[in-house]
Amino acid sequence: MDIDLNTKYRITDDVVAREIEGELIIVPLTSGIGDLEDELFTLNETGRSIWAKLDGSHTLKQVIESLNQDFQDSSGSVEGDVVGFVKELIRMKMVITASDE
Amino acid sequence: MKTTQQIHEYHLWNKLSKHRSLVSFNIELTARCNNNCHHCYINLPAGDTRAIEKELSRLEINRIADEAVELGALWCLLTGGEPLLRNDFSQIYLDLKKKGLLVSVFTNATLINTEIVQLFKQYPPRAVEVSVYGITAETYEEVTRKQGTFIAFQNGLKLLLDAGIKVRFKAMSLKSNYHEMQRIAEFCRSRSDDVFRFDPFLHLRYDLNEKRNKEIITQRLTPSQIIALERSDIERTDSVKKLCNQQQNATENTTASNLIFNCGIGKHDFTLGWDGTFRLCSALQHPECVYDLRKGNLKDAWLNFAPKVLNMRREPNSIDDCYNCRLVNLCSWCPAHSYLENGSLVTPIKDFCESAHARNKAFGVIDHQTSEHEEI
Ligand code: SF4
Ligand code: SF4
Repeated sequence: MDIDLNTKYRITDDVVAREIEGELIIVPLTSGIGDLEDELFTLNETGRSIWAKLDGSHTLKQVIESLNQDFQDSSGSVEGDVVGFVKELIRMKMVITASDE
Repeated sequence: MKTTQQIHEYHLWNKLSKHRSLVSFNIELTARCNNNCHHCYINLPAGDTRAIEKELSRLEINRIADEAVELGALWCLLTGGEPLLRNDFSQIYLDLKKKGLLVSVFTNATLINTEIVQLFKQYPPRAVEVSVYGITAETYEEVTRKQGTFIAFQNGLKLLLDAGIKVRFKAMSLKSNYHEMQRIAEFCRSRSDDVFRFDPFLHLRYDLNEKRNKEIITQRLTPSQIIALERSDIERTDSVKKLCNQQQNATENTTASNLIFNCGIGKHDFTLGWDGTFRLCSALQHPECVYDLRKGNLKDAWLNFAPKVLNMRREPNSIDDCYNCRLVNLCSWCPAHSYLENGSLVTPIKDFCESAHARNKAFGVIDHQTSEHEEI
């Protein structure tokens, strides 16, 4: 699956994110989210920071730049994290391109 | 390292249950039902206009559910009466799902239709729990006292199962279906891998209706019928034996203080009554333990009112029978049911008491003998 850095991605309306006891819990709303039925998901710290920026109004390149600034990181590792994370979320049907409705 | 991780419900539950915090709630969408079961503790007629007027509106339910979510609730159970009687059931169900709640539904299945199944397929419930009153028209309708309900139940259940909706079964054992209980259990277990539970302890009505309460009492099984039923069911025998072995712990827990409530209510959940009442458990109807959410709000009920109820105490140095009883695990006794039966929160329930002693005699002693024997 190719990820285009000039594309805007957003979280689908088919999941609801809940902050519970300091964890971000992703609750699937419709069937077919994730690999198994009946699962909830939680994100690690990196995941949470990326998730918060996938709002459909910024390209992935802009998301990466913004995270580089937040983390004051110029090593290039953020790009790998973001691309890997977005791929994972697309496969699990939690993220779509902003033009998909 | 994986950025996204699957998380099991029990992991979250464990985490959340370490301190008093709201994690789940029940909503009684209505007190009405299209059936008229002998044993039912909450069933006003389907067309009862006074009940309809008093029911919470969709807007009110949303306001309270939003507060519950803000307080951290993740699980929500829709119950009744029969929740599907409400014309706005689908909208309310979807509203709750969209808040990120894991929603379960209790139903008699007679009103399940293709639209509801479509809704459940697209927006899966955590579970649908179906009550089974009989597996023949004769027995089923002897319990529900409504003609045509058995066919409606069969059709509704088939729609759910054919669509692959996860169904869990439960049954109440009463005089009218006693003769069919074993076949009811087989029917349920062959259609769902989930636990099947049946309950022979019929509770009295929430509206304290005397005439209907008399009917419920006449439908209660005798202690020997309960024992015979439990002996005939291996899973049930095992679980009752386990309860017998837990007797000592129960005594230690209940005598620890003069608190009226030792059962864990109000720590993680509450019931939203059909008419806007906040109750710490669905059966707890004592006027001092009920808060009107139409006059106040959930935050106040949960944070200020509930702790006062949880702190209610018995008379100093009182030796109330049930608080010193080793059989409390075997009788389904609790202050809420004590109030429904006796008008007091701390009094034994005669019928349950007799059954508990009979169960202990039948299963407790046998179990001790067996384990001694095995050790040799
Ligand atoms: S179907 Fe359930 S709610 Fe309706 S009358 Fe029977 S026991 Fe009560
Ligand atoms: S009702 Fe009877 S068996 Fe149950 S706790 Fe009270 S005294 Fe014990």
